[in-house]
Amino acid sequence: MRHFVLLAAAATLLVSCGDPELSINVTETRPLTLYDQDYPGDLKDQPPVTWRRIPGTKFRIINYLAGKDGPVEIFLGESSGDVLGNANRWLGQFGLTPLQSQEFLGKMQMMDREAFIVEAKGTYVPGMGRPNQENSALIGVIRPSGSNIITLKMIGPADEVEAMREEFFQYVQSFTPIDVANLPDPEKS
Amino acid sequence: MSESKKISWGVKIYRFFASFQLAVVCLSLLFLLTFFGTIEQKWNGLYGTIEKYFDLDSFIVIPTLASGKVIPIILPGAYWVIVVLSINMFLGGLVKARKGWKKAGTLVSHFAILFMLIAGAVSSVSKEEGKMIVYQGKKSDYAQMYHDFDIEVFRYDEKGDRETPAIIDTKYLTDLEPLHELEATFEKFDFIFQVDGFQKISELALASPDSKPQNDEEIVDGFFISKAEKNVKEEGMNMPGCYVTVKDNDGKAIQRLILWGGNPFPVSFSYEGARYGVSLLRKVWPMPFEVELHKTIGEYHPNTQIPRWFQSDITKVSDGEREDYEIVMNEPARHGGYTIFQADWSDNGDTPYSGFAIVKNPSDKWPEYALYVATLGLLFHFLSMLWRFAGGSSRKKSIPSAP
Repeated sequence: MRHFVLLAAAATLLVSCGDPELSINVTETRPLTLYDQDYPGDLKDQPPVTWRRIPGTKFRIINYLAGKDGPVEIFLGESSGDVLGNANRWLGQFGLTPLQSQEFLGKMQMMDREAFIVEAKGTYVPGMGRPNQENSALIGVIRPSGSNIITLKMIGPADEVEAMREEFFQYVQSFTPIDVANLPDPEKS
Repeated sequence: MSESKKISWGVKIYRFFASFQLAVVCLSLLFLLTFFGTIEQKWNGLYGTIEKYFDLDSFIVIPTLASGKVIPIILPGAYWVIVVLSINMFLGGLVKARKGWKKAGTLVSHFAILFMLIAGAVSSVSKEEGKMIVYQGKKSDYAQMYHDFDIEVFRYDEKGDRETPAIIDTKYLTDLEPLHELEATFEKFDFIFQVDGFQKISELALASPDSKPQNDEEIVDGFFISKAEKNVKEEGMNMPGCYVTVKDNDGKAIQRLILWGGNPFPVSFSYEGARYGVSLLRKVWPMPFEVELHKTIGEYHPNTQIPRWFQSDITKVSDGEREDYEIVMNEPARHGGYTIFQADWSDNGDTPYSGFAIVKNPSDKWPEYALYVATLGLLFHFLSMLWRFAGGSSRKKSIPSAP
């Protein structure tokens, strides 16, 4: 009996050793490595300070939230398809008439290539069972990339999207493709 | 006065630890631990079972069935049984054992086995192990630990590059339960992190009409963390997840974040005009060299995605010195105390990659040396026995018969 009690006491003591520390001061660090130069889709971007990156999804390899009052979503994806087909799908989500030619779209440069600008305003119908969003707006950019296209969209309340228009176009210009085979050595601190 | 009273406690303890009976008990316990551990591995996974049965922190082991039912046997942790066996081997097999040329072989063998046990202890305390994934045509200078997850927090500079991260080490996260709240202050930042809702094995789900939280999990930025079943076949798929509240130095909450170990890129928040990134990730282990992968080839077992063989042509770059290697199965490359061998390969996706297991273990070669020494010792012992036997036989024959 005495041995059993001793054993139980020892077991309790050992179990209590596993309680985690719940208040810490973090001093640990590590040198920078090539891990710190890993970017989604090998595209380095530079968003405005107020944008917050959130987890990506299958169709949103870069995913941000912004906006003061309502959530404005900014996200980048890579997909197959052509410019006009994607532009018309986006316009369709706002109940707008499809275009006959991509020549009707605005143009800008993104990563040294011509990209097409799609804009829409009205009631956004996201589909997939999600509720419709009235008084919304979209500014999107579609850039052909080999056999694929890169799409970058900003969707949210119309006034917020309008207020962030300049920020968005500056952001489009910030993308830099990363040559992963020739990354510079990170500063070893 | 009886015989037992004459013997001092020191001698009693010495005799106990040097006894043959203790060796038998230790070996029997190791047999039981290996037996139950091998069986339990099926439902507890390899890593979980090694941790439970063989870890330094594992003092008591109670085997369990797949149903979670406890098998009513209390066993000591294997690590500590081996410690006792090592003491026993030292006292019984070296100190107490008879000395002399006739016993030299067995003494050397005992020493070698003891050395092998010590090598195991050194390995379990100081061995570091991680995996470096390199895609063909790319390079890497870091590995990531298999089972240790850290939270890293870093600032983005004006160019959008990451600055040196602060690390909430895995040791502070491992024992967290969902209701625990870990508060972390930082030497290099003046905000505070409160980590909560920690799930050791979790899934990150996108909240949608088709995917709603089943257990009132909190939705942050459209996502939620839910508890997941342990994947015992592919333990690398078991990912932790948690929530973080970022507070300013007055303790006022400024941002809620959701972190998941399988998310390959950081989430971010703004604080006092700067942007910060946060990741829950497998511990990053910087290497003192770079590996450039020029070509990787392999082959799968028929109708599976399990590689049958693989091979990589790499260049190891360290301090400007370049060395080419062809790494094939069971033929690793070495750099200083690091061993690099290929453990994985895949050509699914756009670019094939090689997974290199990197091990830093000061006692890496010790068991090999111990085996050589034990073999020499036993060889000496058996040859000397043979010599004595042969010599003894011939002497017997030469004894003249009595008149």
